[in-house]
Amino acid sequence: MKLRQAMTGLHIWGGLLPSWLLFVIIFTGTLACFDKELERWMRPALHVPASETVMGTDAISTWLGDNISAPLHAYWMHGPTDRAPYWQLGWEEDATGVRGKAAFDPANGQRLADTLGGEFFFTLHYNLHAGQLGMYIVGLAGMFMLTALVSGIIIHRRIFKDFFTLRPNANGQRAWLDAHNLFGVIGLPFHLVLAYTGVAVFVASYMPAGALVAYNGDPMAFYSEVQGGYHRNELHQPPGTPVSIDGLIEDARQHWQTSDIGWVIVEHPHDASSIVSVRRLDPSRIGSPQDALSYDAFTGELLNQQQAPSAYRAYIWLVGLHMAQFGGQIVRVLYSLLGLAGCMMLVAGNNVWLRKRTKRQSPGLTLVRALNTAVFFGLPIASLALLWGNRFIPSELTSRTTAEAWSFAGAWLLVTLFALLTHRQPTRQTRTLFAVLGLLGLGLPLVNYLTTTDGHLLATINHAPMLAAVDLVMLLTGGLCSWRAVKASSPMADKGIAGGQDVDQELAG
Amino acid sequence: MAAPALYRLFRSRSAELVSRSMAALFGGYLLAFGFTAFFSVYLPFSRPNRVVTASLLCFAVWVAAAIYAFAARSPTRAWLVLVITTAVAYSAAYLPTEWRLRP
Repeated sequence: MKLRQAMTGLHIWGGLLPSWLLFVIIFTGTLACFDKELERWMRPALHVPASETVMGTDAISTWLGDNISAPLHAYWMHGPTDRAPYWQLGWEEDATGVRGKAAFDPANGQRLADTLGGEFFFTLHYNLHAGQLGMYIVGLAGMFMLTALVSGIIIHRRIFKDFFTLRPNANGQRAWLDAHNLFGVIGLPFHLVLAYTGVAVFVASYMPAGALVAYNGDPMAFYSEVQGGYHRNELHQPPGTPVSIDGLIEDARQHWQTSDIGWVIVEHPHDASSIVSVRRLDPSRIGSPQDALSYDAFTGELLNQQQAPSAYRAYIWLVGLHMAQFGGQIVRVLYSLLGLAGCMMLVAGNNVWLRKRTKRQSPGLTLVRALNTAVFFGLPIASLALLWGNRFIPSELTSRTTAEAWSFAGAWLLVTLFALLTHRQPTRQTRTLFAVLGLLGLGLPLVNYLTTTDGHLLATINHAPMLAAVDLVMLLTGGLCSWRAVKASSPMADKGIAGGQDVDQELAG
Repeated sequence: MAAPALYRLFRSRSAELVSRSMAALFGGYLLAFGFTAFFSVYLPFSRPNRVVTASLLCFAVWVAAAIYAFAARSPTRAWLVLVITTAVAYSAAYLPTEWRLRP
């Protein structure tokens, strides 16, 4: 009895405190399931059916030489795939560590207009666009989530029976608790696995103990032995004439008897020690194959084939389980539905907290309510605003990504302001925000139709079903939110604010 | 005069709560740290496999420690168990230099 009481406190407060941060992480993670589809949607030049690829890595190396004058520490390239039909390039400057990236149309080698793309959501998901610090904050939030899940299981005696219990017409707190349990239990294995594999991705940063004792804290020795990869230190001598990287890729294709090539990485291209690593792409497997080939950049000699220790391959398997790049769209659809269940678990959980305390007028009610509105409505509205911004900000603008980021941040700030101003009229507030979501969602396919020639729903439904799916999901979301806005005008919504005593007893066990 | 007031503050419910929370956060991390160091050295595998296996399991240890910090009879007890276990595990891992660095 005492254990369950202690766990109840832990679950309620350890769940409430990080809930808004967790909502940001889970919601953007859900969107990031389809980061490549969103990225393509945000690049109208790629809306036409994929044509013959004429561009290769050598053309990209030439572009890099012509456009970036600073010596590079490394650069990396990825060829067009079904989901991301364009060339990706990233680089890091040697002296400053400044990173850049560019995307190219494979049909004509033209650089595509900059956009934050779907990657914006992915980065927000794993480090909140706050670099190292953000990565640690997200990791800590992941630990809170794991602890809340485990304490939730301990306090939930009738986990099986309650799973089949939903009383939407019961009083507010009861209904929200049923919803919290339903969404928590329906996705429980998923929530546990994704939270665990999520923190495991950055295990080398979060838990340096192993490297500290077994490698005397030498990170280079640790990484090279654990990954079984290949590295050559800089010789500080002038480079020779590079061989064709396209030729090396052809060699790698022959070696693996496959046509699927992943990232191609060129390390310190301005030094005699330069090497080119070619990675294999195999989306049929959960963990990507760890057998990269490393070539001398000037002789083309095969220097090394990566041989990763089995525990590292197990780690990569866990990472792959988190990243959902295997098994096709059906896996990503399932992941995103379960991710939404995770979001709903948080929303419902916070509402249980609120309903239970409204009658007693506990301190903190206003703050929790304001945060709920600002985050649970703010983030989805800001995400839609980003997609709107993408269509309205001219592609010639040099600081286009900054303008896109402002459409996201600005929309979120507006919702927060609105939440603060209208906190005395919660019903009207909810209705207005659902209406805004509805308009933004329903309007987006229309804006898409008016601003693109090949990217709108009628044009893509046949040749690019995943692009059309973006529009269709917007229509569905917009439709549901509009319906909710209209429905919320009935007095139903505020029914049962006075919570029932039975739930207190239930939670106290 | 001051001593009983401090004593009351120390024994108050909120002080206990803060102590348990800190034990879950920092004590839990310490235990996971000691656990990882210990099994990075004593698992019967090759060095990279030892380190990766121990490191991947450390989050489960942290969660268990956090649950324990709230389930323990008193916060002091939780702190003692977490810190002593960590100290023993980490010393056992760190002191035999040649053994911990073996390939």
